[in-house]
Amino acid sequence: MKRTALAVVLVALLAVAVLLGVRFGSVPLSTGEALRALTGGGEATHRTIVLELRLPRVLLGVLVGGGLALAGATFQAILRNPLAEPYILGISGGASVGAVLVLTLGLAGSGSWVLPLAAFAGALLAIGLVFRVAIASGRSMDVRVLLLAGVVVGAFFSACIAFILSVSEARTIQSAVLWIMGSLAGTSWRDVTLAAVYSLPAAAVLLTLARPLNALAIGEETAQYLGTDVERVKRIALAVAALLTAAGVAVAGVIGFVGLVVPHAIRLLVGSDHRVLLPLSFLAGAAFLTLADLLARLALAPTEIPIGVITAFVGVPFFLLLLRRSMTR
Amino acid sequence: MTRAGGTALPALLLALLLLPACGQTPDQQPDGPATGAGGEVIQVVDAMGDTVRLDGPPSRVVSLVPSATLTLDALGVRSRLVGRTDYDTLAWARTLPSVGGGLEPNLEDLVALTPDLVIRFGGDQDPVTPRRLDELGIPHAAVRPDAVADVFRSIRVVGALVGEEVRADSLARHLEARLDSLRRARRGGPSPRVAYLLGGEPPWVAGPGTYIHELVELVGGTNVFADLDDLYASVSLEEFLVREIDVVVTHGAEELRGRLPGDLPIREVGGALELPGPWVVEAAHELDQAVHGGPPGARR
Repeated sequence: MKRTALAVVLVALLAVAVLLGVRFGSVPLSTGEALRALTGGGEATHRTIVLELRLPRVLLGVLVGGGLALAGATFQAILRNPLAEPYILGISGGASVGAVLVLTLGLAGSGSWVLPLAAFAGALLAIGLVFRVAIASGRSMDVRVLLLAGVVVGAFFSACIAFILSVSEARTIQSAVLWIMGSLAGTSWRDVTLAAVYSLPAAAVLLTLARPLNALAIGEETAQYLGTDVERVKRIALAVAALLTAAGVAVAGVIGFVGLVVPHAIRLLVGSDHRVLLPLSFLAGAAFLTLADLLARLALAPTEIPIGVITAFVGVPFFLLLLRRSMTR
Repeated sequence: MTRAGGTALPALLLALLLLPACGQTPDQQPDGPATGAGGEVIQVVDAMGDTVRLDGPPSRVVSLVPSATLTLDALGVRSRLVGRTDYDTLAWARTLPSVGGGLEPNLEDLVALTPDLVIRFGGDQDPVTPRRLDELGIPHAAVRPDAVADVFRSIRVVGALVGEEVRADSLARHLEARLDSLRRARRGGPSPRVAYLLGGEPPWVAGPGTYIHELVELVGGTNVFADLDDLYASVSLEEFLVREIDVVVTHGAEELRGRLPGDLPIREVGGALELPGPWVVEAAHELDQAVHGGPPGARR
């Protein structure tokens, strides 16, 4: 598919996704009512529903979905591994340990910032551990060591979570499990601000690294010959992508699948020029998660389905179809 | 992929969460109603120790706590309820719109009901809802239906919230009196050794500090798992052989038949035991029948 065509399609899709996300919810509003509420008119109840509940939630979906897809594309480029995804360095494990500890120790009530902060701290701890191991192996950062360290640290954190849950009170387990499954429910403007402050600058930095990432994708040695400061690019890109992921996890929990599949899908459609791949991944991830959240809210309303279930149910068939098409071509 | 929490937790765990448990938080005693004398304004200290202020008796109440729903009905203010949860399954309650689960309810549906009071679970299971209700300017009050004493406390708190303190107090006294007479009837009698089973594999049992444990002891039974460290825990089947159990009590026991070692008698109780509220006396009576195999005085 032509790049510009896909870009136009994705921008339109994102716009539609945002509008649908504001228009539809478990409370039926007419298009007119939703629009009036959006512009500050109409009934007070409708304004609250649209401006205080739907809009922040939709915007958080845009930021987190876009961020995860962008981070996934970056990890795939640097680790040169098709299985790479935002959580591959144990970030989800670290964040989950932080969140689960807060929830099971009953600290979540002591302040609304405690939970995201603990999750963020856990993610940073995981990143720090993995990077230290990878750097300790020599002057340059070995991506194979990085990958292995990530997987092992992730497994360790998973064991920590299983342990904490097994010794904690049954009733706190639900909130912990729900948190781990990821959700955009209960999003407030504060969450959106928090996510935006981290995600937008991080996304901007990653987008400027598109050219060196192209060189890296060929191979580290070749990139070095081509005049890329390989170590510097690797470290900056990994650290920024990890921070981007950590911010997303802190506010929305562990939402799987977006960061793995969206970059692959875009790559299958337009090739692996990162100058195109990175921005389009952000757009596609944002639209995908926003639509997935809409479905999560509507499918069994008023009950909400965990968003990770939707991303997998919708994403897997679509991705397999793309994969088959690209193989037979 | 390194997805955290790949450990599939049995659905049982989720089911367990609906069960009552003793408060872990430092109990702010005794959260009694403290209504402004004679004034229009209602002021109540809820189960979390927070003072809830209302401009008058609420007329549009959403109850996120099934036992509080029953309390509102028992107080004769059913008509003021405008919303319930998926767990309120009585016929009259089902006619009301549901806002989903009691923890992390669907806020959109809740807002659409324009409640002037939301009754919610106290505790840390759901840190999001109280914060969002605050931000949305919807008054909310917490109850913790955990232990037998909480049942009476919750009834009084709910009564004070809706301006029906007198009725709530007489309801609580009435229930207390009936429980007391049951307790007296069994005092000094035989004390069968009881295991309360919640199902699962290995099976989960009720430990000390639970509402179930309290009621088992109240009707004269001995909870054989009174030494557990947790409120609820899964225990090895071997424990059932060595703990000299007289009777296994459970709710929904079909799956258990043939799985327990030995020939332990299994007796069924209704669901009232899992809903600590105005049904506490019914629950105690059912448990009493199951534990003793008949009314007081009957031969076992």
